[in-house]
Order: sequence, then C-alpha cells, then structure tokens
Amino acid sequence: MASVRIANVWKYYGKTVAVKDLNIDCPDGQFLSVLGPSGCGKSSTLRMLAGLEHISAGDIYFGERRVNDLPPKARDIAMVFENYALYPHKTVFENIANPLRLRGTDGATIERKVRAAAKMLEIEHLLDRKPVELSGGQKQRTAIGRAIVREPQLFLFDEPIAHLDAKLRAHMRGELKLMQRRLGTTMIYVTHDQLEAMSMADRIAVMHEGVLQQFGTPQEIYNQPVNEWVAGFVGEPPMNFLDVEVVDEDGRLCLVHPGFRVAVTAAQQALLRQRLSGREARMGIRPDEVRIATATFPGALEARVRVSEPLGGDMLVDAELAGSRLLVKTRPDFTGGMGAPCWVAFDVERWHLFEKPSGVAYF
Amino acid sequence: MAARTGGRFDLGRAATADAAAAVLPVRHVAGVRTIDYAPARLNPQPSRSYYFWMMAPAIVVLAAISLYPFFWLVWMSLHNVEVGAGPDTFVGFANFERLFTRDRKFWNGWSLLLQYSAMCLSLQIVLGVLLAVILNGSRYEKILVTVILMPMMMAPVIAGLVWYYLYNSTFGWYHWLLQSAGILGETSIVGSTSTAMLGLVIVDVWQWTPLITLITLAGMKRVPRDQLEANMVDGAGELRNFFAIVLPNLYPFLLIAILLRFMDNFRFIDVALTLTGGGPADATNILPVYLFDVSFQYFKLGRGAAIALTLLLVTILLGMLLVRLFEGPQSRRADMGSEG
Repeated sequence: MASVRIANVWKYYGKTVAVKDLNIDCPDGQFLSVLGPSGCGKSSTLRMLAGLEHISAGDIYFGERRVNDLPPKARDIAMVFENYALYPHKTVFENIANPLRLRGTDGATIERKVRAAAKMLEIEHLLDRKPVELSGGQKQRTAIGRAIVREPQLFLFDEPIAHLDAKLRAHMRGELKLMQRRLGTTMIYVTHDQLEAMSMADRIAVMHEGVLQQFGTPQEIYNQPVNEWVAGFVGEPPMNFLDVEVVDEDGRLCLVHPGFRVAVTAAQQALLRQRLSGREARMGIRPDEVRIATATFPGALEARVRVSEPLGGDMLVDAELAGSRLLVKTRPDFTGGMGAPCWVAFDVERWHLFEKPSGVAYF
Repeated sequence: MAARTGGRFDLGRAATADAAAAVLPVRHVAGVRTIDYAPARLNPQPSRSYYFWMMAPAIVVLAAISLYPFFWLVWMSLHNVEVGAGPDTFVGFANFERLFTRDRKFWNGWSLLLQYSAMCLSLQIVLGVLLAVILNGSRYEKILVTVILMPMMMAPVIAGLVWYYLYNSTFGWYHWLLQSAGILGETSIVGSTSTAMLGLVIVDVWQWTPLITLITLAGMKRVPRDQLEANMVDGAGELRNFFAIVLPNLYPFLLIAILLRFMDNFRFIDVALTLTGGGPADATNILPVYLFDVSFQYFKLGRGAAIALTLLLVTILLGMLLVRLFEGPQSRRADMGSEG
C-alpha cells in the first residue's frame, strides 16, 4: 500500500492542455475520488497514474518512489476500466487470474486467490463462463475481481459503475466502499457522478477544464464550495444562484434583490468586511435550504409557483421570485398549484455569496 | 384473487375486448401479476410465400449462372466427353475410377497442390501479419500501404510473365542476384525440379501478402485499446500483449484472409502456366494445371469434369473445416462490439 502524490502535473495532447498544474496528496489507505464533468482531465490524470499516458510535466510519487518512468507493469497498480476491458476469449476465472499468471504465480495459489476474490464478489458460480455470457453487473464484478486478486498497492477505478442501471449502481456504491475499507488499499476513483463521489470518498478532488477546483472531504465540498462552479456542480438538485447587491444599511450588510432585502449574519458580515470587492455578487442557496409555504409567515418573501414536481418522498417546486428562478425542495404535502402565489424564506446561515465576476466564494 | 390455472384462453370467446376483460383469468404469482391468455386476434404480417416470391428473381438468376453449369459438370463427369470423338457416352464412375486408381499425375497434382498451398499460406500469414504490425500506427502507414498494395493490382498472368523474365537464367535480374549470392547455379530457379515450386511460391507470396497485410491492418484497428491497457496494467509487456490480446482479436480477420487465399490457391493457374507450364518434369504440375491440360490440351472433357468435381468437393470440405476450426475464437469474440 502507498500514499500517492501528484506534484505540479501537466498533460498536453499536442497543443491541447488536458491537465494544468495538478497537485493532489492522497494519504495511504484513503478513498480519493476525482470528480468532474467529461473533458475535465480526470481520466487523463488516472491514466498518468496508471502509466498509460506520458506525464508532460511534473512528477507522480507512490510513497517515496517517483514513478514517472515506470511502465504500467512495474507500478504495482490495478485498474478497473469504464468498459470493464475483460478478455472476451478467456473465462471469468482466467480473466481474474490474468495478473497472477503474468507474474508467474504458481497454480495452487492462483486457484486459492481467484476463488477467494470470486467468493467476496459473489461470482463463484460464474467462473467457467465467458464475458459474453455475463450481465453488466457481473462483468463489472469480474473486472473488480481482476483488480483485487493481486493485492496491489493502489487501485485505479475509471467510472466503473457508470454503465450499470440505476438500482445496481446504488447497490454497488455501498459495496465498493465496503470493499475498499475492508482491504484498506489506497483507491483513486474517477467519476462524473457527484453522488458517487459524495457517498464513497474520504476526499474529493473536483476538477474542471483541467484545473483542480477544490480538494477536500465530501462535507467541505458540499458545505463550503470554494467557487460558484463547484457549488453548482455538486448537489442534486443544483444550487440556486441569484444576482444580488451588497448594501451597507446603517452598518449592517444586506443582500438586495428585486424580490428581497435580507441582512447577512454577524459571522458572514465579518468575512465580507475583510474581502468585499464590489457591490455586485451572486447569492447561492441549495433547494432544500429554502422554506416554502402556501400562506405567509414572518420574514416570508412573496413568490409564485411555476410548476411543481412530486418526487414521491419530496416535492420539487420551481418558483419565481421577482423575475428570478428558484428551485425549492419541500415536503410532498405542499399544495401550491401552477401559477399560485407562495411564500419563501432563506436559511441565511446556509446561503453562499460569490464574488462577481470571478465566482470566488466569500462564504 | 382466486388463482385460475389453465392455459390458453379460447380466442373465439374473447372477440370483444370489453366483455372479455371482465372474465379473463389474471393470476398473481409471488406478488407479480401474471397473464397467461393469448390476444384475441393477431395482427397480419407478410406470409412466408411473400418473402419467397420477393427472392425468386434472384434465385432464378443464381440458378442460371451457377446451378445449371454445376449440374452440367456433374453430368459430364459421368460421361465420356471428348471433343471431336463422336457422341458422348455414359460411363458411370469410370472417369473417377481411372483418376483414383490409375492416374499417377492426379495424385501428384494433389500432393503438389497441398504443398504449394501450405507454403504460400504460412509464408503469407507470417509475413503479412508481421508487415501489418510494423505498419500499424506508423506515420507513413497510409502511403506505405498504398505502395505495398501495388503487386495485388497486377493481373496474375502479367505477374507470371514479369517473374518469368526476372527468373531468366541469362538476363533475369533476380537470377543474377541469387547467382551472385551463391544461392543458385547456372539453372534458373524455375528450371530445376527441386526449386521450381519455390519459384511459384515466391510469386504468390509477393503478389498476395499485401492482401493479408491489408486485412490484418483493418483487424488491428478493431483491437480494443482498453483490453491492451488492462493487460499492461495486469503486468504484460508488448510481446505478451500481442499474443494474448492482439492475436486472438485478429482470428476472425485471419480466417477470412486464409479462406480467400486458400480458395484462390486451389484454382490457381495463371502464374504456373506462364512461368513453368507444370514443368520441369511435372515438378509444378499442381492439380489445376493438370486439370487444364486434361480438359483443354487433350480435350478429355469428361475426365476433366471429374477432376474439377473432386477439386470442388475438397475445396468445400476444407473451407467448412477451416470455418469450424475458427468458429470457437470467433464466437468468443462476439461481444466485442458491445464492449467497444
């Protein structure tokens, strides 16, 4: 097992830059998720870790060892590919055994280890099948079996459950997390699905356009996004953003919007006093941090229901607040119909304010 | 709800949907609503005869150009057909009997044909795949492939003539080259019984290796990259990667190449006729050349038909064998499309 250090790494494809000056430290035994939309450089990063891509600039260390010039087979890693990359002409057993065979492990040990891995993944009964006879979930388990059978020092997972159906994906999230905790092997897990990253990882590295946006625990990423992009990317349904002005009213800072004028908390005011760079800003608030009701209540702002979507356990209300769109997640018993008036209030402890136009978070 | 078992619902009684819905048996099995009746009426679809008549014109054309001559061939093989020697007489299997029991040249032709085919195929496959591996992904791949393909563009008869002159013992450039290197003596490569066959093989390899290269190159583009990478991460080097991943993925492509070339070899005649004419001393008298001699030099068309028929049968049998041999790897490869 090993820690992983990515130090000032760049990746160029010709003149296109895929990864820009990336720095990530992943302690030994941690589950690190690299999260970002497609084309953000996360897969390039993983492939550089695997040794499948040349590192254009910078260094990658496994523990104390610089691995830039090591071929994949010398890095002691295991990788699970997005499309599983099973060998179609080999049985499940031989697929899982492949890394051991390539290292010249003796037959009895191979037999024992493959069976142990298959048992853990509950695919013992499939060992004689060919990949073509497997379902998506079974293929994925086989690919994971091939990765864990050798007990490598580092796991690299490239969107391994992206192609499973929603129900199986939810199931596998828990399984993978459990497996990683049980084996204690460092894991780097690339995904575009923020739910996967949030639910499984110890740490998340959020990437966008080749640049690391934020690196932190899932709670940090969710509760203290460093910029508007991270705030908007993480969370489902996505955060609401409203253009506001920051106005000083008798020594008290307020956020002013055509539909409201609300004072910030004392702690937020202290932060703003240090850094405020202009009147214009963007206020961000998550849909479940807005209170909504069909009748007015103290501190409520008048809005209008555009449409409401019952989701079974929740209700998603798409409301209009003085010309701005506001998504609100509320209880399913909310009764406001289309076009009906409604009243909303923000949980001011939880809202965020971003500098304009840079998008950097004030709080 | 009471479980009402019993299979097919009476189609006649379910004619009106509304009335039927009330009485149709619906069962629940382990919490799942289960339907075991059939629809009241099936929507019409084209009958089998419709498809037959749509195909009929093609079948007629095919029969005219291929089945008719085939049956004529069978008929001729059972008769004594000799041009200018009176009416054809039925002789039963006499033509075949003569071939199998008394015709030394027939057996010699088979043996030479198999040797020739085996040599051509193995050399072409090895060289063709090797060339493809070298060319694949190279900067000049496109232009080099075009250059390599040139021999294939040449008519086989012309190829035979060109090589005839290249092999010529007095002014042939290749002969001079081989002689200077001390490999050949005074006699041309096609002039000696021990080397004449090799001379033919070289021409075939020269002309048709590019086809194998072309097919293999197409196949190599389809080798899934993630499998290669997975194998590298698993601990394989380049060479093991080639044998473990690339080659198995090439099987179906190689099968097509081998099938094409083997069938070509079995009806091969142009180069042998122009280059050696079956000689010297029958050293290159492979079966198709002998067949040509019997039919169109001696005009024993009945006997020729018998030879042609055996050749055809063996070709079909070997072809089927080849397909079966490769069927395993090919069917295993079937999921590649969905994987890639």
